[in-house]
Amino acid sequence: MGKPRVARWVGVGSSSLVFLCALPARAQVATLDVNSALFLEPSARSKLTVLNPSAALTVSPVNWLTFQGNYEADIVSGASEALKGGRLSNVDIVTSATHFSDTRHALTGGFTLTRAFTHLTGTYTYGTEHDYRSNAFAISAGTDFLQKNTQIELSYGRGFDQVCTTNYTASDAPSSRLALDSSKGCFTNAKDRAARDISLNNFQLGWTQTWTPEFATQVVLSAALQHGFLGNPYRSVVIAPAGDQALENNPENRGRGAIGVRGKYYVRSLQTAFSLGGRLYRDTWAIFGQTYELDAERYVFPWLRVLVRGRYYTQTGALFWSDDYTGGEPAFGPRGQYWSGDRELSPLSSYLLGARALATREGEPGARVLGLFLSCSGSVGFDALKTKLRDFTLGGTAPDDTLALLGSLGFRGEF
Amino acid sequence: MNGDRFSSLKTWALLTLGGVLLASLAGCATVRPEQRAILADPTMQFDEKAGDQAALDHALENREGSTGGGSVKGGGCGCN
Repeated sequence: MGKPRVARWVGVGSSSLVFLCALPARAQVATLDVNSALFLEPSARSKLTVLNPSAALTVSPVNWLTFQGNYEADIVSGASEALKGGRLSNVDIVTSATHFSDTRHALTGGFTLTRAFTHLTGTYTYGTEHDYRSNAFAISAGTDFLQKNTQIELSYGRGFDQVCTTNYTASDAPSSRLALDSSKGCFTNAKDRAARDISLNNFQLGWTQTWTPEFATQVVLSAALQHGFLGNPYRSVVIAPAGDQALENNPENRGRGAIGVRGKYYVRSLQTAFSLGGRLYRDTWAIFGQTYELDAERYVFPWLRVLVRGRYYTQTGALFWSDDYTGGEPAFGPRGQYWSGDRELSPLSSYLLGARALATREGEPGARVLGLFLSCSGSVGFDALKTKLRDFTLGGTAPDDTLALLGSLGFRGEF
Repeated sequence: MNGDRFSSLKTWALLTLGGVLLASLAGCATVRPEQRAILADPTMQFDEKAGDQAALDHALENREGSTGGGSVKGGGCGCN
């Protein structure tokens, strides 16, 4: 796209924004939501830091129409092992950790049309980083009925992504394919780089039901179909006792399904809202996951509410996953045909404990908060996630990066 | 093999039947607008603090082999 064309689009966008801002104000014209999260995984050799700032602006020029824009970034730095082997592998895995850093930018634009009982939302997201690009369209429609005690929401998302890999061809044996050593040359005409497509289809159905003045439930059914390069282009796996290694080789298709059930109940005697939830997950790679969540939230002061949460998760490993592929697996069995060094495909369980505090200040029509906002709120949160890897090792050594810490700060203003 | 498939089909059939029965009960639940003071509170809404939750979900999706089945917006006073 040439620069004059970009400038034209920027001009059209700016004019539209100015036009929307100039329209007569309604009860709530715009909401600004700014969040920042910091994810830390301390480790002696493969620590990871991810800073995730985001900003979202929604503007409602008229009651039935809302525009939304969102920017999000993932600023990632750390070190990871570029080679995976298990207990039998006769190679040095642990010191293969290499440093890396990258930034993902994601821009989203969309609209919501609202009528008395229905709404329709459409969004488009473009994401880019040095070795990955994504284009995602999503549409969702929802309706209320039975005196607004029942809400149904249907959504569909379609993604057209691309990932950078080395330039192998389909006729090259998977065992001869090489991993990337860096993102240099990705999405250019470099002869040793290739862009591979990933096709994504996501479906979701949500049903929210009010049962009593203190009790509501929600059921969410999700399904996803993925096709393309579904591995890590940087990771090699030791596949033979002599130490031969090859680019991770996952199946090219994956079907995923999940059902989540949650209930919220307000206990008047404790003045606290409790939420209990469970989720079952299954995919065509034979991973079966179970999640159980409990949280409680209450007002400490009229302007301050505090939430505490706990979560337990467990999963089986993928059918083709093995800690070590040099143990004589049959060549045409799942562990001979495919090989992966992904620890998220291994059998694991995790515990999460966290808390969040949220302070809100409401303004008056004649006296806005800070002279600007109808209302504003600020939040601070902290979560700790401990993962237990049941089989995964790095050359027989258990990884030390199994504790993750997540801190978040948020601000929301309505004006 | 056929026995496994039959058992799996039976489980899905029972789950579907249970879901349909539960859904039909929804018609019996009537909470009037004036009874929704508690349901209207932010603490009783699903996916109320989406920005905060999105960062956590993003981290978990990168550390687990599963995804989907999360919260969607819903609940509240039903007054929009």
